[in-house]
Amino acid sequence: MNTNYLPSGFLPIVVQFVLALGFIVVTMIVTHNIGPSRKGKVKDDPFECGIEVVGDARTPISVKYFLVAILFVLFDVEVIFMYPWAVNFKKLGMFGFVEMVLFMSLLLAGFYYIIRKGVLKWEE
Amino acid sequence: MYPIILLSFLGIVVLFLGFAKSKAILLPATLLFLAVALVGNFVEWNQGTIIYFYNMLAVNNLTLAFNGIVLVSAFMIVAMTRGFQDDDEAQPAEYYAIMLFSLVGAFMMIGFENLIMLFLGLEILSVAMYVLTGSDKRNLRSNEAALKYFLMGAFATGILLFGIALLYGATGSFTLTGIQAYIGQGNPSYLLYGGLLLVLIGMLFKVSAAPFHFWTPDVYEGAPTIFTAFMATIVKTAGFAALFRLLSHSFTGIYDYWWITLAVITVLTLLVGNIIAVYQDSFKRMLAYSSISHAGYLLIALTAMTPQTENSILFYSMAYSVATICAFGVLIPLAREKAMTGKPRETYEAFNGLARNNPLLAFVLTVSMLSLAGIPLTAGFWGKFFVFGSAAERGIIWLLVVAILMSAVGIYYYFRVIMAAYMKEGDTAEIRVAPFYKIVLVTATIITLLFGIAPGLFTGLV
Amino acid sequence: MQEPSIPDIIQLIPLKSYLILSTALFVIGILGVLIRRNAIVIFMSVELMLNSVNLLLIAFSSYKSDPSAQVFVFFIMAVAAAEVAVGLAIIVMIYRNTRTIDIGFLNKLKG
Repeated sequence: MNTNYLPSGFLPIVVQFVLALGFIVVTMIVTHNIGPSRKGKVKDDPFECGIEVVGDARTPISVKYFLVAILFVLFDVEVIFMYPWAVNFKKLGMFGFVEMVLFMSLLLAGFYYIIRKGVLKWEE
Repeated sequence: MYPIILLSFLGIVVLFLGFAKSKAILLPATLLFLAVALVGNFVEWNQGTIIYFYNMLAVNNLTLAFNGIVLVSAFMIVAMTRGFQDDDEAQPAEYYAIMLFSLVGAFMMIGFENLIMLFLGLEILSVAMYVLTGSDKRNLRSNEAALKYFLMGAFATGILLFGIALLYGATGSFTLTGIQAYIGQGNPSYLLYGGLLLVLIGMLFKVSAAPFHFWTPDVYEGAPTIFTAFMATIVKTAGFAALFRLLSHSFTGIYDYWWITLAVITVLTLLVGNIIAVYQDSFKRMLAYSSISHAGYLLIALTAMTPQTENSILFYSMAYSVATICAFGVLIPLAREKAMTGKPRETYEAFNGLARNNPLLAFVLTVSMLSLAGIPLTAGFWGKFFVFGSAAERGIIWLLVVAILMSAVGIYYYFRVIMAAYMKEGDTAEIRVAPFYKIVLVTATIITLLFGIAPGLFTGLV
Repeated sequence: MQEPSIPDIIQLIPLKSYLILSTALFVIGILGVLIRRNAIVIFMSVELMLNSVNLLLIAFSSYKSDPSAQVFVFFIMAVAAAEVAVGLAIIVMIYRNTRTIDIGFLNKLKG
């Protein structure tokens, strides 16, 4: 494998970058200039799958969505501690298993707390 | 080490006790758990230095004593939290649990042997404090304080982490002994100096030393008073224990490099804390600046870094914590009473004529102010005495001159409170205080006076 | 031909480059915190600072063939997630009370 990277070796990346940027700029300019510009109340309305537009896009969202999103972030990230365990599973043996059970039971205690708090009840 | 495991577990128990029908069990349960942790803490007393968890945590008499201060302070503060149960919105179980968890962070900071533990402990403590600061959800001031504390705290954490990364780059180790061994080889890399500087900045942010103090007054004022007391005592004690551990265990080899930086910061902190405190009208805000100035006094001991430093920091933290808890402990019932009558709540005027109808509260307040000002026969005097003594031993006289001048300034604003309580006319009605609350205040006052008269009782322990 | 291992790939670029890159990211983060007015953007800048630290730690770890820095990175990521949860909760709380997240609005506390 070639391990000597010279600055000239990056030229294809630069070319790719310039082409990608150029394509976007060119298409934007061309569509603005070629296409006919007709304005009208109906035409300027936001497109919403053919049905009438209702209200503002920035309506308040129920805080339940937010809570679930936050909880997802928390529980999602805790999984990273399982990777080192998985990699060294054989070597850590029983000790690692016990530690991981302890860790998971702490996580589950938190999960049980969330359920008891009623955070995951959507209907109410 | 036992209190860490105990409180992690018992904190979860408190969390689940919150689902019980009656909330009345929470306070006694939390106090009981804190007492259990206090007993568990001193099981390892006088057993020399014990290393736990593959060189992550160390336990010796010094860390146990710091743990003890933190636990006793927490016990007193928790005992003062009767007010939670009146409010429908309040979530007492969560607050108690978060307090217990935050103590775990404090213990990790006090006994860390590996920088990972320092970072984790600091974050456990800080994240808990962000939540507690914002716990008064409908109050805009509390919201604002929480956001400020959070943004500044996260910023400081980032700086601290970059410093740790640079230290690791230089030394190849996160352990205190590893860093010390690297410095012992001589000719350290420039990464080490940069890393140390950034770590110091991050830690000084957390203990609110000038010029990194600007968040402190706002946060202390906006947070609910009980949690301000928690922040002013426990976060500061743990922060200084961690700073001391870091500097004394790893960086004594390059003392010549960092002591002048720390000395300049100390002088700045003393000047800013004391002089701005003079101009405050709010008692709570004055206490915030006073906490900055006390950080300055503690920094003197760190700057000197003599063999006496550990004892002087320990004694000073104890004296400062107990006196601060007394001050906030008087403010809480007083502000509640004033809020009912619609008078100014947290200004100096609120204390006018306090002594006539509430001699006990006025006395507690007086002792705590005297102790904070460092008047003889209180613990605060001996705290300052030991700290100044360590600076004199090192021969940093100019630092000592500034410190003594500034403690003279301090006497002015602490005595303003005492004057308001005893000399000024006012019409504070008799404030009803729960008997348990009274016991806490009186005990704290007795501790202040006892160690003020016989400091040897405390210094002889460690 | 054998596949090169990840530390080998990381070491194709000199350590100094990683140091410069992560310092640059870190400084961008600091400037973001100091200059921007929107709480969410400040928060993103803080995250940028943390991630620059992660990058630096991984680079050092590969160069020193020492896994302890990678473990540290795991902890930074986990703690950052907890911090995100609390921070966003605080921001949502403020938004519900004031309908803004511009920090210029935060002026109730002045001495």
